[in-house]
Amino acid sequence: MAKRSLLKRLGISGGTFVVAVPYIWLLLFFAVPFIIVLKISFSDIDLAIPPYKPLIESAGNHLIAIKLNFNNYFFLFTDSLYFSAFLNSIKVAFISTVLCLLVGYPMAYGIARSAPATRNILLLLVVLPFWTSLLLRVYAWIGLLKANGVINNVLQWMGLIDEPLPMLYTQFAMYIGIVYSYLPFMILPLYSNLEKMNWQLLEAAQDLGCRPWQSFYKITLPLSRNGILAGSMLVFIPAVGEFVIPALLGGPNALMIGRILWDEFFSNRAWPVASAVAILLLIVLVPFMMWYQSVQARESAGDGR
Amino acid sequence: MWSVVRSALTVACSLLILAGCGGKSSAGKGEGDAAAKSGKVLNLYIWSDYLAANTLPDFEKQTGIKVNVAYFDTNETLETKLLAGSSGYDVVLPTASYFERQIKAGVYQSFDKSKLPNLKNMDPQLMLLVAMHDPNNAHGLIYLWGTNGIGYNEKMVKSILPNEPLDTWKLVFDPVYASKLAKCGISVLDSPAEVFRAVYNYLGKDPNSQKPEDLVVAEDVLMKIRPYIRNINSSEYIEALANGDVCVSVGYSGDVLQSRDRAREANKGIEIKYIVPKEGTILWFDMLAIPKDAPHPDSAYAFINYLMQPEVMASISNFKRFANANAAALPLVDKSVTGDPVIYPTPEERKRLSVQLADSIDQTRAITRIWQRFKTGR
Amino acid sequence: MSIPATVPLKPAPWKDPSARPYVQLERLTKKFGDFTAVDDISLKIYQGEIFCLLGASGCGKTTLLRMLGGFETPTSGKILIDGEDMAGVPPYQRPVNMMFQSYAIFPHMNVEQNVAFGLKQDGVSKAQIKERVATMLDLVKMGDFARRKPHQLSGGQRQRVALARSLVKRPKLLLLDEPLGALDKKLREHTQFELISLQEKLGVTFVVVTHDQEEAMTLASRIGVMNHGEIVQTGTPSEIYEFPSTKFVADFIGSVNMFEGKLVEDEPNYVRIQSDELGSTIFVNHGISSPPQAVVWAAIRPEKIFMSIARPEGTDNIVQGAVQDIAYLGDLSIFLVKLPTGKVVRVTRPNTSRHSEEITWDQQVYLNWDSTSPVVVTR
Repeated sequence: MAKRSLLKRLGISGGTFVVAVPYIWLLLFFAVPFIIVLKISFSDIDLAIPPYKPLIESAGNHLIAIKLNFNNYFFLFTDSLYFSAFLNSIKVAFISTVLCLLVGYPMAYGIARSAPATRNILLLLVVLPFWTSLLLRVYAWIGLLKANGVINNVLQWMGLIDEPLPMLYTQFAMYIGIVYSYLPFMILPLYSNLEKMNWQLLEAAQDLGCRPWQSFYKITLPLSRNGILAGSMLVFIPAVGEFVIPALLGGPNALMIGRILWDEFFSNRAWPVASAVAILLLIVLVPFMMWYQSVQARESAGDGR
Repeated sequence: MWSVVRSALTVACSLLILAGCGGKSSAGKGEGDAAAKSGKVLNLYIWSDYLAANTLPDFEKQTGIKVNVAYFDTNETLETKLLAGSSGYDVVLPTASYFERQIKAGVYQSFDKSKLPNLKNMDPQLMLLVAMHDPNNAHGLIYLWGTNGIGYNEKMVKSILPNEPLDTWKLVFDPVYASKLAKCGISVLDSPAEVFRAVYNYLGKDPNSQKPEDLVVAEDVLMKIRPYIRNINSSEYIEALANGDVCVSVGYSGDVLQSRDRAREANKGIEIKYIVPKEGTILWFDMLAIPKDAPHPDSAYAFINYLMQPEVMASISNFKRFANANAAALPLVDKSVTGDPVIYPTPEERKRLSVQLADSIDQTRAITRIWQRFKTGR
Repeated sequence: MSIPATVPLKPAPWKDPSARPYVQLERLTKKFGDFTAVDDISLKIYQGEIFCLLGASGCGKTTLLRMLGGFETPTSGKILIDGEDMAGVPPYQRPVNMMFQSYAIFPHMNVEQNVAFGLKQDGVSKAQIKERVATMLDLVKMGDFARRKPHQLSGGQRQRVALARSLVKRPKLLLLDEPLGALDKKLREHTQFELISLQEKLGVTFVVVTHDQEEAMTLASRIGVMNHGEIVQTGTPSEIYEFPSTKFVADFIGSVNMFEGKLVEDEPNYVRIQSDELGSTIFVNHGISSPPQAVVWAAIRPEKIFMSIARPEGTDNIVQGAVQDIAYLGDLSIFLVKLPTGKVVRVTRPNTSRHSEEITWDQQVYLNWDSTSPVVVTR
């Protein structure tokens, strides 16, 4: 009651309040941290608490001097390291996305075409891994992939290999980890798209002369484009900044931008450079997100399937 | 074990922390207690599993001070919290090379030595070594210490190098040896500053050299052995060494000890040995220090003074099997601990030990950069 | 409106034993688990027909249609199209096209692309496609909408696109699943006639599935009434209406008054039925083949019962009752007349004169009918 009367006294109606909550959330947990990171990215490194110099200094005579230091950004372009790390991150994210799509599409398709009762069980199985922590699941992969891990032991026991296959700490292990962890993000939007599909369209296509694979290629695939896009974005965007999985499963040569950020922040204590990397990462990802948004907007406005 | 991951998570959090560098942190959980009002609280930030079982209960009993413990697992995590400011901790345990830089950043308060009567128990020689980081030992004192060296699987290495001396950095940094040992697996710490010290020791250079030309030589050494390195990590190697996934690891004495114990427990006939290479190596010291803005400095002094009691320190050493720097405690430490050369280096070995001084910002950046090339093998 | 009825010069093909059926079903059965959707159906459909499969939902008519299209595999029996056994022939190789109930228009293609789809699939040349699509769209009056996306079309327009798309491939046989079901009543009536004229113009054989008897009556050359997976009667619309062969058909097509009774006189040229429901006998002026004393039903259409206040002349087929309810429908009125036995009889009277004999609620009236009017069914 007290809360309500306070809101009323402030002239805030329930409706305004409900609308305001997401905005306040965004402001507090996105805009404010973003602005602070942006601010740090323009400052100078310093051996102090905090370890960077303030942007705003008093210049005497009631004047305030704001020093914007773009060097952190220029610096990122002087060393090919950052560019190649960005490139590598995008490459890894892209390959992971394609793999997720290749694995996830048939699964989503199968779930969407199964009987409604089975469907719920299958969906539950897709979501089930989320019930345990990501770290535990990645550690489970370590147990499977390591030299004397489950897979190698089974293969050796079957006599298929003599020496354990080096799988852990390789690109292979990293992709397995990423694809495994992000697969539900691919399957769920694809499923929700395919589930709305009018399967009679496929019969119509067959009726008009399409073999089954042709009707898949000409009808199902284009109609699930938005699901493919949604799933791909949900995998691609976080995968670009992925740090944990390459660190735990990937080889030491997997240089990704998340690791660079870590090194700058923790090893070099260069908070301003780390912030600049974070801002650049955001700038790289924003076009993808905007493109995705526009596609989504077109869908909700468009073909009322 | 969780270091990288935890740190990864802190990247995200830290971005928020740097945001709120003035904001309250999580440590002062006991703030609301009645004890807090009387100042009878201590917020301790320490490596996990780094005390004897009875250390804290006895302290609480003796002093009536309630201890809130939080754990960190990398120096980077600790440093980030300290540099963000207002951490809320009363006693923290940084490693000496980090500690030195943190003093310069103004993180710690200088000791009021009148409140630490047990200082007299400390080993003056070791305290002199840390004074290289912290002149006059004004900001900290040694909790436990050890060395960096090489842990190896005796059987596997001897089968590959039956007639070679094994007490040398050559095992890792000489391509002739490394290429042979690559078959059974070599790992190095994912800690560039410490590996560079090892390379400088191997090359016979000053381990704390800040000369750019030395960096070039060191990089050359690292890149030549890169093809033979299986893992670069700072925690997983404990397990890998113990179960035979790798046979040679550049690591910490304490970790190799753990690895040796695990291998013995597993009882698969794997015997892990530790050596302090004859070319010399660095020491590590975990320090006890009080942040400048510690909310309960009196509790902090009481705690540090308590830890310096010989019987307290000896029980920690006995329990954790790490070397302490408390001269008065040494007679009380078990012979199995003082007599273990992995824990307490022999007088001969001690001559080869040096202190890891803090690098300049530029040196750190250069080392990190080379390290990234080393890791990617490019 | 059935075509043979208006073109009586040549005998209807189904009455011509030498005529070759275009579609032939032989003892066709389809089972889903324990459920028999289509039960031992044999049927012949001839070139140029509009054959309607009429029945309530779940009677198996759509399953039958889907078997013709190749979307379901028969459990047993044979389908011959143009003399060729369709067993194992997939939908994309059958000389058949289907118009789906949902129309199944591809939402990611515009009208033109939808119609062109089947031709492209067949590898028809671009110029030809362009021409045939344009012709077809003009034929269904969708020429102006070629570039529209499906979501910009009304229900009627979509129906036309679906029709154009299935006809553009010039199939010999077109299967239509409830082709007008999604349209409102007005549009439906209009479209029915368009569909017929289109069919005549192109000479395609139509097999139409519908649950709407009016639609079937309008469209069909012949109707097959289906119930529980069986075809219970096949015939022209008038045959089905005037001479239903079973109680079910009589009841299903139009409304009917059904009187249960027993044959009390069974002569070659007339029968007399004693009906307790009616409280009287029914005289029918033709003989039927049924054992004496058997239970039979006499079905009399409401428009074939006359109603008067004065007792009509004659002795047979006259009963008395009281008007219970009247519904005025404009062109005609429906009267519900309650007999002393409790049975309610439905009578319709065209409102031909504005001054017709005034009959009101609760009035005692006489009902009578011609001795030719009752249809006697035995099951």
